[in-house]
Parts: sequence; C-alpha cells; structure tokens
Amino acid sequence: MSGGGGSGNASFPAGQPGLDPRVPGGRRNSRILGATQGRSVWVAVASTVIFFSVAAILTVNSPGWPAVRQSFFDGTEFRESLPQIVSKFGRNVFIFCVAEALVLVFALLIAVMRSLPGSVFAPLRLLAAAYTDFFRGVPTILVIALLGFGMPALRLQNLPDSDMFWAIVALTLVYTAYVAEVYRAGIDSIHPSQVAAARSLGLGPGQALRYVVLPQAVRRVIPPLLNDFIGLQKDSALVAFLGVTEGLRQAQIIQANDFNFTPYVSLALVYVVITIPQARFVDWLIARDRRKRLAVGS
Amino acid sequence: MRKLVLGLATILLVAAACAQESSTVAGPSGTGSPTGDPCAVENLNLLSAGQLTIATGNPAYKPWYGGDSVPGSEWKAKSFSGDPHSGQGYEGAFAYALAQEMGFTDDQVQWIGIPFVKSFAPGPKDFDFAMQQISITAKRSQAVDFSEGYFDVNQALIANEGSPAIGVTTLAGLKDIKLGAPIGTTSLQVIQDEVQPNVEPQVYDDLDLALKDLTSGQIDGVVVDFPTAFYGYADVVVGQFPNLGGEQEQFGLAFEKGSPLVTCVNQAIDALRSNGTLDQLKSQWLETDASVPVFS
Repeated sequence: MSGGGGSGNASFPAGQPGLDPRVPGGRRNSRILGATQGRSVWVAVASTVIFFSVAAILTVNSPGWPAVRQSFFDGTEFRESLPQIVSKFGRNVFIFCVAEALVLVFALLIAVMRSLPGSVFAPLRLLAAAYTDFFRGVPTILVIALLGFGMPALRLQNLPDSDMFWAIVALTLVYTAYVAEVYRAGIDSIHPSQVAAARSLGLGPGQALRYVVLPQAVRRVIPPLLNDFIGLQKDSALVAFLGVTEGLRQAQIIQANDFNFTPYVSLALVYVVITIPQARFVDWLIARDRRKRLAVGS
Repeated sequence: MRKLVLGLATILLVAAACAQESSTVAGPSGTGSPTGDPCAVENLNLLSAGQLTIATGNPAYKPWYGGDSVPGSEWKAKSFSGDPHSGQGYEGAFAYALAQEMGFTDDQVQWIGIPFVKSFAPGPKDFDFAMQQISITAKRSQAVDFSEGYFDVNQALIANEGSPAIGVTTLAGLKDIKLGAPIGTTSLQVIQDEVQPNVEPQVYDDLDLALKDLTSGQIDGVVVDFPTAFYGYADVVVGQFPNLGGEQEQFGLAFEKGSPLVTCVNQAIDALRSNGTLDQLKSQWLETDASVPVFS
C-alpha cells in the first residue's frame, strides 16, 4: 500500500483513456468490483472478504442464531422442501409465461391508443389513461383477490372459474398498465421529425407508426420491459392467495406443518436462480445498446 | 489510500452497529424469587409482570371464540367470529379458567392478535403463549414448546347441498372430489395422507377464504376440525376422518422454546382436567354429537 503516492484515484489514471471503463473498447473489467488495476482488485477483494466475514461472524455469534439456524437453515428441511417447491413452481412458470405474452400485446395496444394524435381519438386516449391510472394504483394482490374470488362467485355460464385463469387475467391487467407506460415512454422518445420525414415520404400516419416509430421504440424499451417481467414473475407468487398450490403456497404448507421457515429459503433460491440470468441478460442488452450508440456517435 | 481507510472505517462502523443491535437482544432471563411457590403469579417469568398475555388469531372463529366485541377491542365480532375478551367460546372460556387457576384475575389477561406464523417464528415473542387450535406434532416441537394437550380433536368434512361429496362414506370415495383446507392445519395433512386425492386440494390462508370458494362452488368440500364442522359453516357434515397415523390429535398451547412457564401452565391444565372443568367447557361450547360416521 506504500508508494500509492499522488495517483490516489487508482481507477482512472489521467491520460490513459484506454483504461476508462466508460469508454467502449476499453480494457475489459469487472463493473461490480469497479477495479481495473491489480492493487484495486486486491483492495476490493480484501474489503469484500472482511465485510462478509465480519457480517457472518456477527450473525453466527448473535444470541438468537441457534434458533434462526434451526428455523431457517435446516438441512433436512431444505432437502425435503426443495423438490416439492420446484415441482409446484411449474405453475408459476406457466402463469407468468402466459401473462407475459398477453401483456406484450395488450400493453402495446394501450400505449398506441394513448399516443394517438387528433381530437377524434380523445375518448380512446381517455380510456387508456384511466385504465393505466386504475391498474397501476390498485395493489396487485387486491386485483387477484377481487377477480379470483369475485368472478367465480357470479356463477355465470361460459365464464371460466379456474383460479389459474383469473390469476392470469389479474396479473395481465396489472402489468399491462405498467408495460403500457414503458411502451409509451419509448414511443415518446422517438423524435417527431422522424414521423414528419416518414409522412413526407408518403407514408400514412398508421404506416409511420408501424414502420418507423414502433420498431425503434420497442427496441429502446426492451431493458425496462424485462425489468417489469421480472416483477411479474415474482408477483406470480401472489396467486397463492386464491388457493392455488404454486411455489409459495407449497413453501407455506411445509412451513406451517413443520413450524420451520427453511422452505422460504428454498423458494427464494428458486427465484434467484431464474431471475439472475435475466437480470444479467438485461445488463448485457443495455451494454450492447450503449456500445452501438457510442460507436455510431464516434 | 484515503479510499481504503474510508472503506475500512465504514465496514467497522457497520460491524459496530450490528454488534450493538445484537447485544440488546439478550433473552429475558429474569430470575424469579427463590422463595415460595414458583408458580405463584409474582414468581412467574411473564412478558409483562402481573399480566398473562395470550395470542390468538384475528378474526377469532366460533366455536373456539365467541361473544360480542368488548369496547376498545381489536376483535370485531361477526356472525362467525367472536372476541376473546368476552371469555366465550371454548378457547375463550378455557383461557380465563386457566388464568384463574394460575392465580390471575380476569383483568390481568391480555389478548394479542397474531397471524398464525407468528406463533412459531423464532425470536422474542410478544406474548406468553399462543392459543390458536394448534395441533401438537413432534416436528413442530422442534420450534416451540407445547403445553400438554387441552383438547382432543378429529377432522371432519363439510359440504353444501348438491356437492358430490355428500353420501360418500369411504376415503377412497373422496379421491376424485375437489377438497379444500385452510393452511397450517392438520386438515390438509388428512387430505394428503388419508385421502391421497387424485384432484389437488386447494389450500387457503384462512377458513373464511376456503368457505368463500365452497359457497361459489370452486371446491366441493372443506376439511375442518370436528367442532368447527358443526358450527353451521356449511350445510352438511359429511363424515369424520380417522386419526392420522392412529394417534389422537391434540391442541396445545405454543410457548417460546425453553419458556419456564410451561410447567406451571401444565399444572393448571392438569387441575382443570381433573376437576372436570375441561369436560364442562367442552359440553358447554362444542357440539359433541358423535353420530357422524367415520370414513373407512
């Protein structure tokens, strides 16, 4: 550590632009550790190790640790609960896959409705705005409970009474509202001159939207879209409320039978395993996008 | 270098903060007065001195609880639920009988409403014990200490008119019927272990939600404990289930692991059993009609 001298900021030595991590084509580096040089890597590793060791030692030596270990980190309980939870997690996967597909379509419709120009379309714009306001404002679990318990109670012919069906409807309604706003931000981000250019080339307003605005807008919002989808995947656990035995409910059943919280840890692990690759994928998309734009700019 | 020092300082600060927090969580290990009856109220190791704090669910369902809401109480009595403060219903009355037997006056009994998970979550409890129709099992005993059983219970199936469950007399006959149960109950275990259904059972957060789906026809029957079955939640009591694994299921009070209160509470339960109070409470508050057929 001696001889660090004047160049206190080890990460970005002046006059060496090739090492700046913000510049594309710069030396490949780990963004999490935020380090480019040998010494900084060691500092990063050492402080990480120290931090987590201290945290671990404090946790393990806390007065309640034996009880917590028994309740949350029971090996047998973990081994027994994980396969049961994973098998029920298939339902969550089904729910969020179907909901995601529906959300992609409906949200685009709502966003386009809301972006329609002209006074004739005022009612459509109003409807779309009211829809997003309402479903973004009501907690997801309430929408699920109201539809899941309310609709089957109507006992209407031809209306499905499956909990899974209403859960998917509820999640689609709520997330369509979120995603519509994401799409709208994308549409708004396309400069009006592009539409003007398209129109001057003889494209109609619909064609300008379809062939010029939407392709760029959708590409631009893919990272925030995936973000919302991760949210949707996690919210698929709310379906447990309706009595569907999915991942969370299976964990709760074991937890309540055995008075042990380890199944929650098992389930958390399952979620982490499916969401982390997606988060990394989003990171990669953002990085690629930035590289592309910077490459064009230079 | 400065960065490094700053970083290390931050880590140490965080560590110090954590250490401070954990040192304040020392367990309540007060030492009772060595003289006199260890089970006298003044010698008991209670959450708050001179008060017996009992936890139960909110809503508190009949027939286990009953009566009208006491002013200021967080329990709102409705047609199917009561207020523990009223001392009515089997557990409501048992709580006050138990408190009296231990030497408390009625005013010294405090009630606190908890979700079921809090009865067994690790860490300091904000009650002396939970009285919530909790079935005693060996596995659960690893997380809490149970009193001895204060009520022998069986599980029964209830259904509404028109349900395919009505008229079924065998466990095998229930295999293709869509059943439901509240979570955390032996009812669900009974469905899984005894019926071994072909249709997956629905599992609800509480009895209320299960009954909602029973009324709307999403499920054909709900498994509940025997006394609850008679409380008019559904049209018909179809039958009762044999004991799981041949062992009599019992409700027990749940204490924090290692609670010194258990012995004294057990003494009081023993006294209430031998002087006939438990039987009297049972016949006063619960339907004891045994003519319901047992599924074979």
